[in-house]
This record gives sequence, structure tokens and C-alpha cells, in this order.
Amino acid sequence: MIKRYKERYLAGYLARVFLHNPLTMVIGVTLIVLGIVALLMMPREEDPQISISGGTIIISLPGASADEVEKVIVKPLERRIKEIKGVEHIYGVSSDSVGIVNVMYYIGENREASNLKLYDKVMQNMDQLPQGALQPLVRPFDIDIDIPVLSIAFYAKDALHVKNVELYKKIEELRNEFGNIPNVAKTELKGEFKEQFNVEVDLGKLASFGLSMGQIAQSLKSLSSSVPNINNKTNDGKLVIFGIKNAIEKVEDIENLIVSRSFGSSIYLRDVAKITQSYDIQNLKSAEISYRENGILGEAREQITLSVSKLKGSNAVVIAEDVLKRVEAHKASLDKAGIGYIVTRNYGERANSAVNELVFHLLISVVIIALLLIVVLGWREGLIVTLTVPAILAITIFIAYISGQTINRITLFAFLLSLGLLVDDVIVVIENIHRHLHDKASKDKEMDEILIEATDEIGAPTNIATIAIILTMVPMAFVGQMMGEFMKPIPLNVPVALLSSLLIAYIFTPFLARKFLKKPNHKEEV
Amino acid sequence: MEKFEHFIYAILMSPSKKKLVLLITLLAFIASLFMFPTHMVLAKMLPGKSTDTFSIYIDLPNGSSAVETKKVNACVVSILQKEKEIQNIEIFSGMGSPLDYAGLVKGSGFKMGEHVSEIVVNLSSIHTRDEASFMMVHRLRPLIQQTCEPLKMGTSIKMTEQPAGPPTLSAIVIELYGKDDHALSALAQEVKNIVSKTKNLVDVDILGDDIYKKFELIVDKEKIIRSSLSIANVNEILYLSFEGMQIAHKNSENSPSQIPIFLVLSDKSKNINHFSKEELVAKLTAVKLLNEQGMMVPLNELVSVQEVDSTPTVMSKNLQRMVSIVAETDLVSQVYPLLDARSAIKEKLSEQFEINNSHLFDLELKDKKSGEVFTLVWDGEMKVTMDTFRDLGAAFIAALVLIFLLMVIYYKSYAIAGIILLGSFLSIIGVIFGHWIMDIFTKETFFLTATSLIGFISLMGISSRNSLLLIDFSLSLMKEGVDKQKAIANATATRAKPIFLTAAAIILASTLLASDPIFGGLGVALIFGTIAAVIVSLIVVPVLMDKAKAIH
Repeated sequence: MIKRYKERYLAGYLARVFLHNPLTMVIGVTLIVLGIVALLMMPREEDPQISISGGTIIISLPGASADEVEKVIVKPLERRIKEIKGVEHIYGVSSDSVGIVNVMYYIGENREASNLKLYDKVMQNMDQLPQGALQPLVRPFDIDIDIPVLSIAFYAKDALHVKNVELYKKIEELRNEFGNIPNVAKTELKGEFKEQFNVEVDLGKLASFGLSMGQIAQSLKSLSSSVPNINNKTNDGKLVIFGIKNAIEKVEDIENLIVSRSFGSSIYLRDVAKITQSYDIQNLKSAEISYRENGILGEAREQITLSVSKLKGSNAVVIAEDVLKRVEAHKASLDKAGIGYIVTRNYGERANSAVNELVFHLLISVVIIALLLIVVLGWREGLIVTLTVPAILAITIFIAYISGQTINRITLFAFLLSLGLLVDDVIVVIENIHRHLHDKASKDKEMDEILIEATDEIGAPTNIATIAIILTMVPMAFVGQMMGEFMKPIPLNVPVALLSSLLIAYIFTPFLARKFLKKPNHKEEV
Repeated sequence: MEKFEHFIYAILMSPSKKKLVLLITLLAFIASLFMFPTHMVLAKMLPGKSTDTFSIYIDLPNGSSAVETKKVNACVVSILQKEKEIQNIEIFSGMGSPLDYAGLVKGSGFKMGEHVSEIVVNLSSIHTRDEASFMMVHRLRPLIQQTCEPLKMGTSIKMTEQPAGPPTLSAIVIELYGKDDHALSALAQEVKNIVSKTKNLVDVDILGDDIYKKFELIVDKEKIIRSSLSIANVNEILYLSFEGMQIAHKNSENSPSQIPIFLVLSDKSKNINHFSKEELVAKLTAVKLLNEQGMMVPLNELVSVQEVDSTPTVMSKNLQRMVSIVAETDLVSQVYPLLDARSAIKEKLSEQFEINNSHLFDLELKDKKSGEVFTLVWDGEMKVTMDTFRDLGAAFIAALVLIFLLMVIYYKSYAIAGIILLGSFLSIIGVIFGHWIMDIFTKETFFLTATSLIGFISLMGISSRNSLLLIDFSLSLMKEGVDKQKAIANATATRAKPIFLTAAAIILASTLLASDPIFGGLGVALIFGTIAAVIVSLIVVPVLMDKAKAIH
């Protein structure tokens, strides 16, 4: 019976438990599969989301000057808001007739709770609002919903052919279809013009007929009144339904409206005003786009931008693809209607390419390190280290996935950063195994015992060194402000990667060494 | 290895050589620290990031019309259209563009009114384009501002880039606090002028409304009552005539919403020939109201017109009246122009104000005549930078303390823990020199950034591992009865291989990091810091170990 090595540290213990265990291989494969699944399943983003909480409260007090608004609305409201815990800054904006208070919470405050607190505070103090103030509007920030991940500009290929209202109707129709795409939060239009009957009164004619604007408004109002259907019954109890048809159907209906009767002759609306069925002329918001046509940036033409935002924690890549697929499906009908479109923003695609590029970088780095190790340590040892790297990364990615993180640039940088660190443990173990195998003193020892002893020997310093690196990361998790939140994936993931590298080094390195390495024949060497 | 062992042994055996090693280390450390005040290495929170898009915010003075705004838009677009790398240009007038991270904090979502517009410029893919987006902005900014801003006095055109990290209101925000509105806005104007003249600061603007001329209609209550009308009538007719109202709706099956019927005066009859009180009165004469007796009363009979200044919006922060001035930096870090602007403010305003330093860079200005006190506070990216560097600095110190404690627990000796700590700390030499070298080799300025600090903090752990393995091995050799110097030299030589190997792994893994704009600092810090750490742990740490009495 060969002397059994008595292990002193966790390192040797783990090495012994897993060295002959048939499950070791299964565990290894499972880990890698889990990692790949997590990598594919995790929502992808370009940048990590920072939880910015805050909101805006808008209160109108018609007719009040800026100074009055400040005194009776903004100041008292600010004082109340100040009572909320977690509020960092309060910005007050008082202008004529309206007061706005912007509230910023400390970065990292829970958003749902903050929104609720804000709403609660405003509602509690409703009775203190001055006379004549309108109902306060409370609008909390919502980064996920407020920032669209996708925007598409629709434009008329021939502006003379497609009226802006037609464009709007078509896009509105399209927008309604997105309603059933999973995880789409909000769709918004910018630059749309809605259908409207415009009655443009000529002041001169009005005066010549002795009419006032008020009269015209009155007669228009009376025209558009409508009632619901009327239910009546026949003598034998059957239902008879009748309703009044809308009085206005076409432009002519408005044109032929009699606004006044004087001296036996009727004055029609068309006599004093120009009536058109067109778009909302009072809307001064507009959107245009200039795009490349035959290589040159063309004239800016009217467009409607449709933007889509996603629900929190969902995958921007998938949503953008889904929406674009729908639009693509309508391409023919849009084409027929003379409408073209350009995708002006696609965060999904950007996130995907950023993530893919970094995953590619990660792979290149693994290969480069593998080559280095193969050159320096020999190909068997190099191969062992290379095999452990994906397992370590897989564990880290999987843990990141189940802890609800998204995969973004910072997470991947954390992996890149830890890559240089996590091979260290395996290198140290394999180097020691290598040294022991080639050591003359181990000539008579059993292979397994050498492996366990070699692993166990460097257990203490490796543990301490790894703990030291993890400790350097811990304080970073407490860095506050935007930057701390932004960089949080680094202190979250690097320690996990290091811990798993430690376990992998103790479990898999001796296991793989047993499969790949052989005890050199010392007699020949001497 | 033999040679290296002899080399270390030779150093350890000669006191003068040992002194030389320590002296060189000290000099290198001091030299690296001197790179900050001499501006050889510049600090910034995050460097610029080249993206596929940027925005242009256009603000005409309040009271400008949509037509004027369109004119400025057209001017900007005509300049942009000459650019080869631009794929498309989106123009949003009277509102903000679809919200992005920059727009979120810059209040783009709240924009409304005829005098604002936003232009979004989409560039061709970053991979096929040579010019970085921030270089393009740098090139176009003066061109656009000089050509298009003069179209209307008081127009401000700002170029907005997507932030590399978390967004801020602006690179530099100066908040002025005071009690009196007029004095405050006068001071703001002065500060703005000084800041605009500071080198490398661009897009300087005062946040807030401009005061413009408007007319106020004062109703004659007595006349209104005597004409059997009410003020509400007057208001309604005025609004109906000149702004228009949706007074009725038509339901429709083939329209997405109700179709409103909008009543207004025709453009021809409501437009006024030119901006004057007389013209407005003349126009009001033509607008008549019908009273209960069926008589037509001209509007000008009921109101008198007065030309007044508009009342500007009152801004406050944390319950104090405030005016803020924003400025962006052009390619450079905001730290240095800020210091320039600060000294310029102190110099130029010293005649009028008594200036005292308050918290950090903030100033307190006391008017020599009126005795009024104003406070000047720096905010924006500057504040975030300061806070971040302070927090990361604290994290760094905490990391040092934690490592020290860990080593004390492991070795039960303060001296050995101290050696390990010093050994790790000295890798800062490599980090700073690395940034200086990179700055020489790159076209744009290579800043020491927040990620460089993160890299440095992680380095602490890595380099302490080197010293740790070295000390561990020397101690076990000495236990076997080897001479101290001999043991240290032997341990250093034996551990050199794994130290080099792990260092090479870190350097290779970091080379790809170094090419990224944001994480370049981290990559460079790791690469050069690791090189320094290897040199320190193989030459300086053995010398320190030899000096330490705790190792025996």
C-alpha cells in the first residue's frame, strides 16, 4: 500500500473528491452548456441601465405671473417634496401660468418606491393648492419606457401624391399592429399631422355681413351635436332602433351651414370663410428627414417618426427584430401607398453588434493565452488551462444570468478583465503539478497522490492571493453616483469569476492532468 | 535563471547597489507623480466615444416664430448636407427628438414651443468611417455656429454627442445662487462672457428664458360691463380669432380619431403688417364682439394695449433661486478649462466683488457696493468626475487596508504585510508612465480616466500575489536552513517563471481592452502596471525583504 497524502487545505480535499469521480466530466459539460444557454438567453443591452429615479410635477395656475407661481405653487411644493427621504435635488421652474418641479432622487434609489412616494406626497397636499390651480400632473421618470430602442422614419416618396394626413393614417394603422408584440412598452409618433376641418374666417367679409366670431362658433357647435341611438318599441313588443345621422360628413356640409339670416336671405358659412378638410394647421411641431438618394443627401421632406420602447429587463435585440419584421411585411403595401421608410435608430442591433464583438474579443484573448501557455508550458499543460477557461466563464455568465443582470458592454469588459486574472490560479496549479511530476523526489509516488499533493501545496498562498484580488474589488461595489452604478457589473462579476476560477483550478486541473499528463520516466532523464 | 539568481544575489550583497535600487524606485515614483501638475498626463472621467450619431440642439430666443426656426434649421442642414459620411438627417421642429440618454438629462423631452428644434445626424457605420464622430463634431461646430447663429440674434446652437458613460447635463455647469433676480441675471451674463472666452470651452449658454418684447392687453372693466359683455367673452374671442380653437368634433369610421373642426381667422386677415403697437390696435379694431343687445362692439374699445417685457421664468434648485450657465468642452478634459475659467472669473470680477473660496472650487461673491452675496457652484460632469474620483480613491484606500489586514492575518507580521503593500502600490509608476507613453503614440489625447483607476485598483491584488508567492517561497527555503540572501535570490529566480507567465497572460488579455475608447484606460493601466509590478516584485521586493528584520 502506497502512502496516502494527507491533504491540509480545501484545495487538496477538492482535488481528491473529484479526481476519480465519474460526475466530474458531466459537471464540466453541464457548466459549459449552462453558460452558453445563459449567453444566448440573457437580455442584451449596449450600456447597463442606471436606476435614475425622479419625476416631474406640473401645476398650472392660469393667469398668474412667474413670481406669483413661485410663491404660491413652487415654493410650498418644494418644501413638501423635501420631506421625502432619498431626494437629492429639487429643481423648480416657475413661469407664467405654470409651475414645474423636477425631483431627482439619489442614484440607485428604488424606482417604484420613489415614484410612489412622490405621488403620495403630492396627493397628500392637494388641499394646500391655491384657488384656481388645476389638478397637478405627476410624471415619474421611466428610463426603460421613455427611451425608445427603435425609431423608424416614414416619409412620402412623392410629397405631392401622399398627403401628410394620409401618411399619418397609414402609420397609425401600422402602430396599432405592434400592440401584440411581446415586451413592447410604448410606441410614439413624432411629426404627425392629424385630419381636421379648418374653418378660416375672413375678417373683412365677417365685418361686411355684420357678424362676429362668437356667432360662427355658436352655429358650428350646434351642428355637431349628436345623441346615441334611440330605442323604441312596436305595439307587439319588438324593438325599433333609430338614430340621427351625423350632420357633418363632408366639407360641403360645413360650407352650407347657415350662420345668419338677415333681410330674408341666408348667409352661409362659405360666404365668410374658407373651409378645407386637411390637417391641424395650428400644430407647429413638424419632423423632416433628408436622406441619401442616388448618393446625395436630398431635400428635407416631411416624415413621421415611429419610436418603440421596451419593457424593463426585456431583450432589445429581439424586440427590434420583431418590430422590423412586421414593418418589412408591410413593405409592399407601404410601397404601393407611396411611403418609404428608414430605420433611424436601432439600439437592438447596436447592442447585438457590441456584444458579439466583445464575445469575439474574449475568444481571441483565450486563444492568444492558450498559445502562450502551449509555448511556455508544453501543449498538454497549455491545453488543460485552455479547457478550464470556458468553464470558469460559463459559471460566471450563468450566475450573472440567474441574478438578473443583462449582458452589456460593461459585463463583457468585466469578463475580459477577469480573463487575465482567472487563468492565474490554473497556471499556478498546473505549474506546480508539472514541477512535482518532474521532481526526482516524486519518483516512487503514485500519480494520483502527486496530483493531490501538488494541488494542495499551493492551496494557502493561492487562496490568499485570490482573496486579496477579490478584496480589492469589494470597495468598488460601494462607489456611489452614476459612475458607480454604471461600473457595477465589474465588482459584481469579477469576484464571482475569481472564486469559480479557484474552484475550477482545484477540481478540474488535477482531473484533466490525470487524463492528459503522464509521469515522465526519470531513469532516462538522468 | 542562474544568471538572474546571481544578479539578485549580487544586489543583495552590496549595500550601495541596494541603495541605488531604492533610489531609482523613489525617483521613478516622484517623476510619475509630477506628470499630473505638469499636464503630461491629463485626467478626465471618460474619454469621448465615437458613435454613429450626434444631435444638434437649436434654441432661438423665446418669442421667435416657427418660420425663423425653420430658417436656422435649413442653414444647419445645408452645411450638413455637404458631409460625405452622413447617412441621413432628421429634423424635429417645435419639439425634441425621440429621447436618448443625452436628451434625458438635458431636458430634451420637455422641449416645446416654436423657438426650439433638434436635428439628429446619423452617420455611416463606425467600422467603415475614418473620422471619429467627436472629431467631426469638433470640425463642424465652429462652421455651423458661425454661419447659422447670426441669422437671429441670441440663437444658441449646441452640438450634443452621446455620452461614453453616464449622461450629465453638461460638461461644465455653473450654478449661481442669489436673492435678487436682476442682479443675478446680470452676474450670469458677465460670467457667461468670461466663460465663452475661455479656451476649449464651447456651446456656452445661460439656461433660462430671454426677455423679449410683448404686448399686454389691459381690459377696461367698466366699458365691458357697460357694453353688456364679460371678460370671459373678450378672452374667448381673442383666442378664437388669433390662435383658433377646436370647437366641434366629427366622429368618423375611417379616421383613427375624431375629426375636429377648427375655427380661426384666415392667415391673411389675422397677420399684422409689422411689429408695432399701432398695427395691433388697428387689427383689434376689426375684431368685433356681439353683445346681448345685438350690437357689435370693436375689441379695441374694450382694451388698451401696452408694450412690456416678458417675465422670465424663475428657476430654483433646492429652494434657492438659481441661474445656471452650461458649457461643453471641445475634445479636452473639463478639469483644466474649468480651472482657467475659475481664475479668470476671480480676476475679472474682483473689482466689483469680494471673492472668497468656499467648498472645493466653489466661490462666494460679495458685491462691494450692495453687500449682496452670490454663490457660484460648479456642477455637471465636473462634479460627477470629482465625486467619482473621490469615491474610487476611497475604494482604493479601502482595498489597501483590506489587503494589509489580510496579509497581517496570514503572516502575523506588519513588516511583511507592509512590503507586500508597498510592492503593489509602486505599480502606480507603470500606470502613470503607461498613460504618458500612450498619449505620445495616439492621435487624440489619452486621458487617465475612471477606468484607469479601476484598473489600478485591480492591479493591487495582482501584484500583491507576486510578492506573496515570493515571500512564501523564501520563507520555506529559509526554514530549510538556506542563507537569507541566498534564499531570497533563489526564490526570486524560481518564482520568476510563473510571475512572468501570469503577467504575460494579463497583458495579452488586456491588449484588446486597450483599443476600446472607454476601457482603454483600464487596459493601459493593467498592461503597464503589470510590467511595473513584475519589475518591482523581482528587484525591489527582494531588496525590501532583505532589509526587513521580520524575515529571518
